[in-house]
Amino acid sequence: MNTPPSQQTLAILRRLAQLPGWTILLAWTAAVLLPLYILIVSCFKTTAEIYDNRLGLPQSWAFDNFVRAWTRADLGHNFINSLIVTGGAVVLTIIVSAMAAYPLSRYRLGWNGIMLGLFLSGIMLPIRLASVELFTLMRSLGLLDSLTGLILVYSAIRIPFAVFIFANFMRVLPSELDEAARMDGAGETRILFQIVLPMVKPAVSIVAIFSAIAVWNDFFFPLIFIFDDRYKTVPLAISVFVGQFRTDWGLVFASLAISMAPILIMYCLLARQIREGVGAGGGMK
Amino acid sequence: MIKPRRTTSLQRTQQRMAVLFILPALAVYGLFVLYPLLLSLWGSFFTWKGLRMQEFAGLANFSRLFVFPSGARLYGALWHNVVWFFGIMVLQNGLGLLFAWLLFLRGRGAAFFQSVFFFPAVLSPVIVGALWRLLLAPGGIVEWALNGLGLHQGSLTVLGNSYTALGMLIAVDAWNWMGLPVLIYTAGLRQISPQVFEAAKLDGAGHARMLYAIALPLLMPALGTLTTLSFINTFNQFDIVYVMQGVQGNPSYATDTLVTYFYRLAFGAEGAVGITDIGLALALGTMLFLILSIGTLLMLRFFDKRTVEL
Repeated sequence: MNTPPSQQTLAILRRLAQLPGWTILLAWTAAVLLPLYILIVSCFKTTAEIYDNRLGLPQSWAFDNFVRAWTRADLGHNFINSLIVTGGAVVLTIIVSAMAAYPLSRYRLGWNGIMLGLFLSGIMLPIRLASVELFTLMRSLGLLDSLTGLILVYSAIRIPFAVFIFANFMRVLPSELDEAARMDGAGETRILFQIVLPMVKPAVSIVAIFSAIAVWNDFFFPLIFIFDDRYKTVPLAISVFVGQFRTDWGLVFASLAISMAPILIMYCLLARQIREGVGAGGGMK
Repeated sequence: MIKPRRTTSLQRTQQRMAVLFILPALAVYGLFVLYPLLLSLWGSFFTWKGLRMQEFAGLANFSRLFVFPSGARLYGALWHNVVWFFGIMVLQNGLGLLFAWLLFLRGRGAAFFQSVFFFPAVLSPVIVGALWRLLLAPGGIVEWALNGLGLHQGSLTVLGNSYTALGMLIAVDAWNWMGLPVLIYTAGLRQISPQVFEAAKLDGAGHARMLYAIALPLLMPALGTLTTLSFINTFNQFDIVYVMQGVQGNPSYATDTLVTYFYRLAFGAEGAVGITDIGLALALGTMLFLILSIGTLLMLRFFDKRTVEL
């Protein structure tokens, strides 16, 4: 008679022992989600309402703040610039890095190691410290105030990590793969783009995801290379808004929401790949 | 007779194709990363007039960096970076270990919590900084909540107070990146064989002891990765300071970092106008480059030696 209740008590005790742990985890969850909740609901409030009704839902789900941020503050323009720069840099990075990684990982050249080392050393290089000379270079190439300039700089920064990922994935493909294609008379370009690249799709998605996040979020290079409002990217515009529209909180909250929307959507769709990618290599930076 | 000829011709084709394939990546990377970086290191030994290199000056720029008026800024910024690094090690990498351990013990719901914890890490530091600037502003929601709970009275000025501002920025940075240690520790914990933990449990070890005596030594590679990443991030810190406290590291340089100081020297205080000192900027850049490279190498070696294999 005594045994079943005592086992039950034990189970309850075990549950209770887990309670402090759950509390800690839920506390941090709240610390992450509460600011985001406030950000979202504040987008739909007027500044007066933000002060009066701090935590509650907005009186109406009006899109005024979004419309004003998009048109009056011209965030729409910045948004399109950011899309062009991010898309351009990701595509360019993937193409040139895959091209470089293919011979480096699959040919026997005699100088694979040195060349790979030269690329990999770039993963750690603090490129911001080269910004003075980079500025002079960009000016003499006519690439200041230019989205093309940003695309080239971002690709250059992302290439080392991309070559590293592509080379790791391509190295383990069976050698019969390209040999058979070569027997059939396929050229090297066709082997790379039609046979090897489709086999390393996970590498393509890792490079695309992490490059897109890094480029979309970057603030430093637009800050030093872009002066004309027409070419400003989203983070640069946001840094101006925070001071410029200091009293118009609804508008600033709405701009923040707009600028994180693409990343938020991507994160919801790809959370698992991102978690695994980071856990595997800490390859975020 | 035929076979060797075919091999060499294949090899010759491969050498030619390899050069063609590598060239675009190497050109972009070489032109926009390696070339400006090498030129910057080289230029730090010269005197400068505006953006024009003048004559060889030896270590003159470096000695100017450490004396008046630059010295105070340099030591201040260096100190803030050091404090920032240790703050992140405790707040982010320490707390992150606790979170990862709790998730590991539970198993259930780990993916959900990891996804939530990591979410701020995919946001731009500019957005994170702007968001927290609004939340922590006088009249903002944090002030309202603290006053409502009776923990604080009047206007909240933590960002305007030189004693608390740096700590606030470190906390915001930790909030931003908390998901990273959680994911990296979790991946490390999963690689440890479950039998090790079961054996410890049979020997009567509690959870705290298992974490300290078994998990932590086996997590050395993860801790090494995190320490190195945090070190590199901290000494490159710029965005959060710029957005929350301005490029001067307000109030009165209390949150100034080496990169914000570098930015002011290189590009002037406010955007494209203001006084620049390229020689000093490049010397500071070279110094930072050395700090980062030597620091990273030492850390990798330190953690390599302490890696335990089972």
